[in-house]
Amino acid sequence: MPVILLDRLPLPSLRAYTVISVVLLSCSVYYAVQVTSDPNWKVNSTTSGSNLEQNENESDESVLPPSANFHHNETVGYQLSQLVTFMIQEPLCIWTLINMAYCCLILLGKFIQRLVFGELRVSEQQHIKDKFWNFVFYKFIFVFGVINVQYMDEVVLWCSWFSVLGFLHLLAQLCKDRFEYLSFSPTTPGWSHIRLLGLLASILMLSGLMFLICVAVGFFGGLNTFAFMVAECIQLSVQTLHVILRYALHLYDMRHGGGSGGRVWEKRGPVAYYTELVFELTALLIDLIHHLHMLLWSNIFLSMASLVICMQLRFLCHEIQRRIKKHRNYLWVLNHMEQNYPMASAEELAENSDNCAICWEKMETARKLPCTHLFHNSCLQSWLEQDTSCPTCRMVLSIQSPAGLEASGRLEHNLLAGENQVDNQTTNRRPPNHFFHFDGSRYVSWLPSFSVEVTHTQLLRSDQPQPAQTSQLDAMARQVQQLFPHLALATVIEDLRVTRSVELTIENVLDGQVVAPPPMFQRDTDPPPPPLPELEYSPGLVEMAAPHWDDLSENHDPDSIEASINLGGRFSKSSTERERILQLRKEQLLLSARRRYIERHKSDAAQSCTTPDHERAEVRYRHADS
Amino acid sequence: MRHLSIYIPVQPEMPVLHHSCYSGPEGTCFEGGVFPAKLIFPPDYPLSPPKMQFTCEMFHPNIYADGRVCISILHAPGDDPMGYESSAERWSPVQSVEKILLSVVSMLAEPNDESGANVDAAKMWRDDRHEFNRIAERIVRKTLGLPPP
Repeated sequence: MPVILLDRLPLPSLRAYTVISVVLLSCSVYYAVQVTSDPNWKVNSTTSGSNLEQNENESDESVLPPSANFHHNETVGYQLSQLVTFMIQEPLCIWTLINMAYCCLILLGKFIQRLVFGELRVSEQQHIKDKFWNFVFYKFIFVFGVINVQYMDEVVLWCSWFSVLGFLHLLAQLCKDRFEYLSFSPTTPGWSHIRLLGLLASILMLSGLMFLICVAVGFFGGLNTFAFMVAECIQLSVQTLHVILRYALHLYDMRHGGGSGGRVWEKRGPVAYYTELVFELTALLIDLIHHLHMLLWSNIFLSMASLVICMQLRFLCHEIQRRIKKHRNYLWVLNHMEQNYPMASAEELAENSDNCAICWEKMETARKLPCTHLFHNSCLQSWLEQDTSCPTCRMVLSIQSPAGLEASGRLEHNLLAGENQVDNQTTNRRPPNHFFHFDGSRYVSWLPSFSVEVTHTQLLRSDQPQPAQTSQLDAMARQVQQLFPHLALATVIEDLRVTRSVELTIENVLDGQVVAPPPMFQRDTDPPPPPLPELEYSPGLVEMAAPHWDDLSENHDPDSIEASINLGGRFSKSSTERERILQLRKEQLLLSARRRYIERHKSDAAQSCTTPDHERAEVRYRHADS
Repeated sequence: MRHLSIYIPVQPEMPVLHHSCYSGPEGTCFEGGVFPAKLIFPPDYPLSPPKMQFTCEMFHPNIYADGRVCISILHAPGDDPMGYESSAERWSPVQSVEKILLSVVSMLAEPNDESGANVDAAKMWRDDRHEFNRIAERIVRKTLGLPPP
């Protein structure tokens, strides 16, 4: 929501912003020069300063008189240092300097974007925008909620730290997006890889540098500050390293895969998988520890900030859990595949001289499923992680992962137990309603108690059971549905659960015990459907098109048009030519379809005069023809 | 299906986006129309199904208002948005683009009013077939660049 609001804010363009910043900076520099040109500016400016400063200035003054003679001959260096000291002391100048620094950072970012990425794609822009506002939000929470800074210079220091960090984070994210995009496009010039890798390497180096800064700051600022800063640093480096490794793997594949006819490197799958796993888990764990640290260390425990951090923690825990579950599933499938499905023998491969049905590449080694279908090892594995059936014949493989076993066991139980259990099962399968309850009075007497319930609304009636996953029940339902197409599959299944027989269910339907569910949407309360937009009827189009097809029908008979459409069947090498041919074919398709349509309607109109609508259109057409 | 023509230009610059043109199947209310659509392939295709979206105006029980097509073959085995299909009719990596297109053609011919991607269209298809055909005809004429009847 705030992002939408910010989008609408009339932010100045980059050019305007740069100009304003430069003007502001030059104004403040001019001001500083004006002030410092007076040799006694220090005395004037610090009349209201602290005692300590005055003492310092007094000592300065005692130094100044002897050098006063040389004042006019002073080097530019001295003037400059005077200028800088003044500007750092003057709050107004400091702000313009900070503003200028941000402007430079943005310009640098823009420059890098131009140099490395060129034009950003829409999804990349969106990612960057999301990530930016997310970063700003969390860091705001961190600085004011967790660290709870009191002094302005602390805020400035933290802000500058996070600006640099955020800048690098955004660049890393951009690199990741771009890498993912490039890895799917077949033709990428080599130098774009080099530039991207160069950027990634420099991000990595900079994060190393920032690590050194962390150590230095930690030396003075204590262990907690060090831990906070270092966690961010490590996150950045892990993220960058991950992209670099993936990139390396991808380039290796391209170089070696391209040479030997697209054959995939034998150990590639596991290596890629495990690097992915290790990096994702590392990133998540570091994030988790960082957030836990923030939560435990934050100065105010019961605050909005800790609530936000708790939500983030919950999300992270969930992610880690999901990742580990996925990994266990992977291991399980791998294990199962190796134990139960043998590698196909050479004869079988020769006999079945076919490509892998999943990736359409030639099979040199393959796994054989019980249904005698052959697939590449890696292809089969990635599919089995999603679904446990043969991709070709859909035979349910006897995979019973722990979760699957439980589900099917429950289903079987319900089928056997009959009607009494149906309700029970329905409630089991209904999407869970989340229920949060907070009893504040348990902690402090004046805290309120409240509860929030999140219910899942469904398009279908909520009491409708979810479909059974057994193919048996489904097959039965399908049989019934063939006879009674007006019945919903779910209704049939519901009845089948009770009867457990196709015949009985059919009888029930004929008796009228099973009826189609009432329409799910009550139309009487609905507003009438919005009027469909009027078709813009352009007479010019018809006039243009009509002579055209007239022309066609004179010169060619319909078959020759078909033939000319099919002519473009060969696959042209140049993409622009392909585009052109396809455009041509599209136009021809439209033309012939239009001609056919009109012919059909002509004959319709000739046969019967009951369709005045068409006739009117025809009249218009004849008019256009003449 | 004598005049069933489907063209799929592949854009070389965008490997994940195909454009296709549909010719409405014969003997149905969408007969004769030419319906442009795009197929969007995910990075892990063929493990995940592509998405299909008509880029012209459509009024059909199984097509969302924004043109996205809702048929079981395009649903991944894991998700079940409408809660009625078995996994046997969902996506599998051996399905080809050709099969998807044929499924869409048969969907155009025979809408499945159980999965209400467009509830208004589903209801009209069930209750007021005449009006439905009239709208279909209007859309067909629009795709052909002809004036409304």
